[in-house]
Amino acid sequence: MKSTTRFMCLLLVAILVVLPLSACGEKKQTLNIYSWADNFDPQVLKDFEEQNNVKINYDNFANNEDLLAKIKAGGSGYDLIQPSDYMVATMVKENLLAPLNKQNIPNFVNLKDSLKNPPFDPDNKYSIAYMSGVTGIAYNKKYVKDPITSWADLWNPKYKGKVILLDDNREVIGMSLKKNGFSNSTKDEGQISTAVTDLKKLLPNVLAFDTDTIKQKLIQEEGWIAMLWSGDASFVAKDNADVAYVIPKEGGTIFADNYAIPKDAKNQAMAEKFINYMMDPKVSAKNYETIGYSDPNAKAMEFHSQKYREDKMINLSDEEMKRTEWLSDVGATLQSYDRYWTELKSGR
Amino acid sequence: MRTKRSPWLGIHALVMLIFIYVPIAMIILFSFNESRLSAEWSGFTLDWYTSLFQNEHVMDALKNTLIVAITSTVAATILGTLAAIGVRRVARKLKLATNALLYLPIVIPDIIMGISLLVLFNLMEIDLSRWTIIIAHITFSISYVYVVVTSRLSTMGKQLEEAAEDLGASPWQTFRFVTLPQILPGVVSGAIIAFTMSLDDFMVSFFVAGPSSTTLPIYIYGQVKRGISPEINALCTLLILVSVALIFLAQYMLGRGKGQKKQRMLPF
Amino acid sequence: MKKKSGLVVLPVFLWLSLFLVVPMLIVVGISFLRRDELGNLIYQFNWEAYATFFDKLYLGIYWDTIVLSVLTTLICLLLSYPLAYYIARSGPRMQTWGLALVTIPFWINFLIRTYAWVLLLRTQGIVNNLLLDLGWITEPMQMLYTKGAVLMGMVYTFIPFMVLPIYVAIEQMDKRLLEAASDLGASPSRAFWHITLPQTKSGITTGAILVYVSTTGMFVVTDILGGAKSSMISNIIQTQFLGARNWPFGAALSVIFVITSLVLIFLFNRAMTTRVDRVKEGRI
Repeated sequence: MKSTTRFMCLLLVAILVVLPLSACGEKKQTLNIYSWADNFDPQVLKDFEEQNNVKINYDNFANNEDLLAKIKAGGSGYDLIQPSDYMVATMVKENLLAPLNKQNIPNFVNLKDSLKNPPFDPDNKYSIAYMSGVTGIAYNKKYVKDPITSWADLWNPKYKGKVILLDDNREVIGMSLKKNGFSNSTKDEGQISTAVTDLKKLLPNVLAFDTDTIKQKLIQEEGWIAMLWSGDASFVAKDNADVAYVIPKEGGTIFADNYAIPKDAKNQAMAEKFINYMMDPKVSAKNYETIGYSDPNAKAMEFHSQKYREDKMINLSDEEMKRTEWLSDVGATLQSYDRYWTELKSGR
Repeated sequence: MRTKRSPWLGIHALVMLIFIYVPIAMIILFSFNESRLSAEWSGFTLDWYTSLFQNEHVMDALKNTLIVAITSTVAATILGTLAAIGVRRVARKLKLATNALLYLPIVIPDIIMGISLLVLFNLMEIDLSRWTIIIAHITFSISYVYVVVTSRLSTMGKQLEEAAEDLGASPWQTFRFVTLPQILPGVVSGAIIAFTMSLDDFMVSFFVAGPSSTTLPIYIYGQVKRGISPEINALCTLLILVSVALIFLAQYMLGRGKGQKKQRMLPF
Repeated sequence: MKKKSGLVVLPVFLWLSLFLVVPMLIVVGISFLRRDELGNLIYQFNWEAYATFFDKLYLGIYWDTIVLSVLTTLICLLLSYPLAYYIARSGPRMQTWGLALVTIPFWINFLIRTYAWVLLLRTQGIVNNLLLDLGWITEPMQMLYTKGAVLMGMVYTFIPFMVLPIYVAIEQMDKRLLEAASDLGASPSRAFWHITLPQTKSGITTGAILVYVSTTGMFVVTDILGGAKSSMISNIIQTQFLGARNWPFGAALSVIFVITSLVLIFLFNRAMTTRVDRVKEGRI
């Protein structure tokens, strides 16, 4: 036992000696970015650091709600954040975002028209789309032989224990609402109740609820059929060629992650400079080529590789895009969604 | 020290070790796997080890994690042990309250601790940094040390300490030569648990971390969405290797100074 | 003398008052508020959040959480006691190694360890392939995303919390008692039940409390190994603060959770310490 104490002391000394305690460099400007993991091409960030003599601190969060809780409590110290669509709306309502100074972002004109003036932020006063996609159905052709066209196909008893749903309240209930012909953001209790009763019938088919590692589950063929975001589908298809993707006939949910600047940002000008830099067609092409999501930049297509341009999961057709609907903030009805979701997941 | 043990005990210990190490073996194995998504074995490589050391994010996170874990463990071990010793002398009426207070950090859900501390730091206008994480970790670690040391003290009795005091030992001498040697295994075990909790904590750290004070768990949670890189497996493998090597070293150094007397020596 | 040494509690007392009691009072305060449409707090005293809890849905989830935690604690105890005993009865060198071997794996990030279990248990994972090769099963078993996987994951995660306190207790035990018992002709099992077990009760109590409380607070295991198909009370608390943005309800749930846990700990502690122990500790 005594030797353990010794060991602890030794360990302590060793680590304290080895660790260079917080290296202090010269005072550079810093840009604190708070976003999803691996959301940028590292080289693109490095180029920006060199061109502007600025140090980028890039920290990660795992979901919108974590981001909100942190920004809402204040004093987080970030200059640029990337909330999703409905979260932009919430943050605007809660007065957490600074209006963007468009004069600093001339490249804004490059943004695809379809992504300008989204319902969650008309006139792009506070946000600019960074990446967008649609929720559809991914399925493995090895196991799923019937043609998949509708959300109702998930209910097929043949797929017992092989369906994976996103672990996301609004997405899943929204999906069932769509299947039953309602809006994915309804505030009507009756419609929500119908959708959830329907989902309870789907439970025997459900292998798991998963958002973060659903891709791995499909690649490794643990599940045969799943709700999936289009960009993720492209990622999965690269590792498992049997996986196909379809936007169901009832339509899917469209989402976008956006650039936004918190109200208490210390370096708003630099954040805007960064946004403008990222929206340069060449930079944009380089960036999205690496991260593999669809490029919102209308002028960047010509700089992309042929492989990227031909990827149907990244570049959805206009016809497919027409069938999509944004999730909107449902206000106090969120409580009902939450309660139904708890019922669903605890099987009560 | 050694008493007869049934062979079944040995077999059980072995099975338990296998149970504990099977997933660890997977982690080590996949640190040499070529494929990034680490689903299937696709060939041997050492690339993840080289890229690990070039990955500034991981290295910064590791540095932050170790500084936080070591600082908070040392502080919490001292505070927790003092509390465990002191509580025995507290008036009986206060005992229940003190006990409840010291159990509180273990019982409070992580997210509550994280969010409420974040609110507190904002009210006090303390900027989020590595220090705020350290404060939070000390707060929850104290209890783990306290609980384990108290359990050790509860079966010890006060006779020896009282005898020492009667013989004129100062409180420090009593503590240093009577109490501490007896409770040391409890102190070390408590420290190990505190260290483990600090290394692994995500929820509390997440809320009280500021820009560029990301710890390893925060980094890893962020990575899950895109698939955790095998660099992390490589890092875990190295972590185990270094820990084992350090124990070997400690054992070796102790082995040189043989005999019970040397072993009883404390570092202060 | 006596009064003075009690003062060493003071630093901890001050520390916890500032960084624990004050924030907790804020949480208790929030639990008596209401939320508006956006999730902002309305500063108006009411019991709404507490009333919501007394509902079949949430009570049921809390009950499930308690059942799972008790099961985890029992299994951990059964698995850890012999292991801790084995380690504590080894030579000093082996003790260090034993403790190190048990704890070092838990210095590896918890998520990484849990995902390693996913790799092992999935339908095309190593365990299934091994069983298929051995001919013990004819088609892969669905082990992941079941209650069994959750229970196993919990037990795995909290083993050191049980081993360490029990080790500390056994290490401290007076071995002369066992020798005396054996000299007087007591069988080893009799000696175990009448001497070893009662003497190590404090370690069992501490280990059980640590494992029980940690299990009730853990939800990532349910999400990863259980496929997020069941909810623990801490999932619900988490959602109230994040997704559902209902801080008062989340705060109320936490307050209920903390109080029930403290009461359970107190009762358990009391049940495990006999009158004799209390006399010895000077509590009576």
